[in-house]
Amino acid sequence: MNNTIQISNLRRVYKSHIGAFRRKLKVVEAVKDISFEVEPGELFGVLGPNGAGKTTTVKMLTTLLIPTSGTATILGYDVVKQADAIRPRIGFIFGGERGLYWRLSGIDNLRYFSALYQIDPEISKKRIPQLLELVGLTDRASEKVEGYSRGMKQRLHIARTLLNDPEVLFLDEPSIGLDPVAARDIRGVVRDMREQKKTILLTTHYMFEADELCRRIAVINHGKIIALDTPANLKRFVQDLAVVEFQVKTLTPQTLERLKALPIVDAVSVEEREQNSLVVVQSPRGAEAVPDLLAQFNGASIQKVSVREPTLEDAYVRLVNQADEPEVSLS
Amino acid sequence: MRRLIINLQLFWQGAVLSYRALFTWLRPTTFIASMIFFPLGQIMFFTLLGIYATGAQNASFFLIGNAMQITASSGIFGVTMAVGGERWAGTLMYLFGSPANRLAIFTGRAMVHVLNGFVEVLMGLAWGWLLGWVDFSRTDPLALGLTILIATFSTAAMGLLLGCLGLITLNIMFINNLIYFLLLLFSGANVPVTSLPWWMQYISWALPLTRGIQAARNVVGGAPLTQVIDLLAGELLIGVIYLVAGYSLFRVFEAEAKRRGTLEAF
Repeated sequence: MNNTIQISNLRRVYKSHIGAFRRKLKVVEAVKDISFEVEPGELFGVLGPNGAGKTTTVKMLTTLLIPTSGTATILGYDVVKQADAIRPRIGFIFGGERGLYWRLSGIDNLRYFSALYQIDPEISKKRIPQLLELVGLTDRASEKVEGYSRGMKQRLHIARTLLNDPEVLFLDEPSIGLDPVAARDIRGVVRDMREQKKTILLTTHYMFEADELCRRIAVINHGKIIALDTPANLKRFVQDLAVVEFQVKTLTPQTLERLKALPIVDAVSVEEREQNSLVVVQSPRGAEAVPDLLAQFNGASIQKVSVREPTLEDAYVRLVNQADEPEVSLS
Repeated sequence: MRRLIINLQLFWQGAVLSYRALFTWLRPTTFIASMIFFPLGQIMFFTLLGIYATGAQNASFFLIGNAMQITASSGIFGVTMAVGGERWAGTLMYLFGSPANRLAIFTGRAMVHVLNGFVEVLMGLAWGWLLGWVDFSRTDPLALGLTILIATFSTAAMGLLLGCLGLITLNIMFINNLIYFLLLLFSGANVPVTSLPWWMQYISWALPLTRGIQAARNVVGGAPLTQVIDLLAGELLIGVIYLVAGYSLFRVFEAEAKRRGTLEAF
């Protein structure tokens, strides 16, 4: 079977200069020798923290960035040598509100992008209302985009990317910054696309999103793929662990350092909330570790302690924590 | 044939929508007022200054020169905003990631501004006529219309070249203002080109508008189209040179941005 996306030893290095007079060359290797393939109709997830190389990878696959080395093909076409053959067959979204013409209405944005994709006006006349319906923007289609909420803009982006009925979709953090309802709507549309057998590459750092939607997931960190498997298999990576969560009112860096230094602790992560911090500790000893862990908080106000089974997010945290620091050289 | 019609439709739709998308920072009433009163302001200032300095007999010289030069406001400022605005809108990635014909995208950006510039020049000339500074009794209207159109095109072509600079620099408004005032000086709108130092004359003839302004003065004075055809051909050629240079820079910028990863860098 021919893979829809085939990447071999892809690498991208950014070079820039810093300083006005005594300029120094800064070299950052954003993507380091990654290889993977995506099968036809597969929804493939790429997970990773900010700066991991996800967007750089998507940019190379969507013909917006030339790889430093390695090869990538989409539907059998090389992303560098046959970019013109790829562009009409793909759609892509980069997360965020930009990328739309805010002074135009939603429907005029779609008309304009339809013109950019050289779609027969007769076809776009039928397709645009269908897409507006799909993303739930029919009632607001004639309003200027500047008055749209972030979620509406993102849904309009999705409609835009489907204008040319692409065979392959690249969705780079499509639900970033959205409220839970808007994010759920976006996931619903992505699920619809999956039902239509479109090949989708989705990047995200929302684990539940990847867990819910993707058949396979590549975890990428510092430009390298550190794991690639199904969500179920990735979760097995942490089956030897239990997760202890502490809801703490005031958290000090020293507490974190003490927790990390404990031999019974595998990984520690913190989720900042409005009223408190959630400290998530992975430990093979589970509930038995709680007394030792509690002792490290030095009397800080702990509102809640709970022990639970590990999730995909815990697998991700463990994988990412094991990865090396980025390599940046200054010469 | 059908493909050609579709492409023309797409070009028109793209041109109008891109104009609305990237140049709708003015409210319609403000826009119309600017189309009417901006030309009045420019011609009054420079024509009255010219009359004061050289006498009323030269009113039409200053009026025609400055009415023609008004096209630079659309051709330079409007077009550069239309091209450079893509960076601010964050749409460059979607533009360069689309299969759209790059020449159609590029030239489409200028089309409505050419029409804008044409109307602004007509407004300037109309104000001059109402104020009694110009006499059109011997003017061939078709020749004058063609002259204005060609001058407006060549100025917009220069705007496209500057617009490409707007894709790679944040200082484009400084550059635009500089070019606008240099055109006031070098185009012959206010100072006869032959009165300029020799080295400045070389610059004048390399710029848009210089030949167009001269042709407009001749046509308003009663010269038939055949007498100004050389000037118009030269103006058109200058426009085409700027257009080709601008388009080449646009493609170079696209290729470089993909190579260096600076598509969104400021």
